[in-house]
Amino acid sequence: MNPTLTVLIYSSVAAVTGGIGSLPLAFRSSPPTRWLGWANALAAGTMLGVAYVLSASEPGARAWELAAGSIVGVLFVHGVQRAAGTLSLDLNRLEQEEAVYGYKVLLATALHAASEGVAIGAAMLVNLPLGIFMALAIALHNIPEGLALAAVLRAQGLTLGHAASLTVAANLNQVLFAVVTFALAQAAPGLLPWALGVAVGSLVQIVMTDLFSHAYRQDGHTSVALAAVSALGMVVLLSGG
Amino acid sequence: MTDGMNPSLLVFLYGLATALATGLGAIPFLWMRSVERRGAALANAVAAGLMLGACFGLVSEGSGYGRWQTVAGGLLGVLFILATQRILAGREPSVADVADEAGARKVLLMIVVMTVHSFAEGVAVGAAFGGGVALGGIITVAIAVHNIPEGLAISAVMRPRGASVASCALWSVVSSLPQPVMAVPAYLFVESFRPALPWALGFAAGAMFFMVFQELLPDAYEDAPRPQVGLVTSLTLVAMVLFQRSL
Ligand SMILES: [Zn+2]
Ligand SMILES: [Zn+2]
Repeated sequence: MNPTLTVLIYSSVAAVTGGIGSLPLAFRSSPPTRWLGWANALAAGTMLGVAYVLSASEPGARAWELAAGSIVGVLFVHGVQRAAGTLSLDLNRLEQEEAVYGYKVLLATALHAASEGVAIGAAMLVNLPLGIFMALAIALHNIPEGLALAAVLRAQGLTLGHAASLTVAANLNQVLFAVVTFALAQAAPGLLPWALGVAVGSLVQIVMTDLFSHAYRQDGHTSVALAAVSALGMVVLLSGG
Repeated sequence: MTDGMNPSLLVFLYGLATALATGLGAIPFLWMRSVERRGAALANAVAAGLMLGACFGLVSEGSGYGRWQTVAGGLLGVLFILATQRILAGREPSVADVADEAGARKVLLMIVVMTVHSFAEGVAVGAAFGGGVALGGIITVAIAVHNIPEGLAISAVMRPRGASVASCALWSVVSSLPQPVMAVPAYLFVESFRPALPWALGFAAGAMFFMVFQELLPDAYEDAPRPQVGLVTSLTLVAMVLFQRSL
């Protein structure tokens, strides 16, 4: 198969699973806060696991390029969050809010998805199994993330169908970023360690600012820690085939 | 290991260094009576980033010897922390019997909790040396730095109750003494029984991941603005990971 097509297909799968997360809302249109806490903790654990797998991949990559890339990744996400006004925004409010709130939450999700796209694209270039693993791990991660997002959108008055499709739509730029990262780094292999670094840095920054900080307000510290550590362990266990 | 020095002695000395670092937490109390909460929270954020980076190193080293054994060891590490917490919670009333004054009880309880928690960290130092001196050094530094805010927390409880800075430092170090004491048997165990190495590395990583997720991170988010905690933790984590890669 054409490698770019492979990247396209797998990153699309990862984007679409976000919609699955909205399924529990068919039974409970306004989920208990604890569900959101678990969802955020599971999303944090999987994402940290993904960042670990990426950082441990490609032992040949030059350390300083990875280092510079990951610091760029952290600062880039921080800058976008600041510019978009989502840096200290509560992303999981379930009360009625003005429409601009819904847009900001979608924007934050789109930023997540972009970083995840870079991760998939870079991993595909390291080697195909790693890329497929990365896409599946992120697909898994998108399910709890989709639950939290769909719950917010439902609270804004959207139907379940609308909320689910917007959740998928907000994740679609993942495909774009995966393909572009793959194509760029394939054309200029020197970019690969940078792309890996940017992916690690931006994933870690999203875990720390958006996912954990919400989880601790929604559920007890021990259950957040258990959910996160189990998800992380699962990703490590399945990595490397 | 390194030439000349007895490796067990070396592991003990590294473990002792992490314990002594706890005493550094008392130093700010030389010139202040209480610490600013935000400062302590950001110290926790730095510690969380270092510990997470160190855990990444433990997992990657352990996976080289056996991936599922590392993850299974991690599960045991989490269960160990949960079990000690449960046992301590059960003992709480008896601590109260020993010291009837609420303040003294709080101090005692805190020192007991910290001491038990140091056990897993001692195992981490010892197991890491089983993976080589470089890994051992990294884990030692991460745990030593993480101990400073712990000493700070102990001193913050003791100092307002009239304890001298010296005794704050002393009790902080005492709370971490299980580290050198546990590091040596853990090291000897993995050295003489190599198949246990991925289990031990995983145990240390699981216990440390869990402590970071359960205590360090939520404490940090509680007392400092989320953007600052996020940025400090992320930068420390990636710096730690890349530092280990460059060795
Ligand atoms: Zn995400
Ligand atoms: Zn500790």
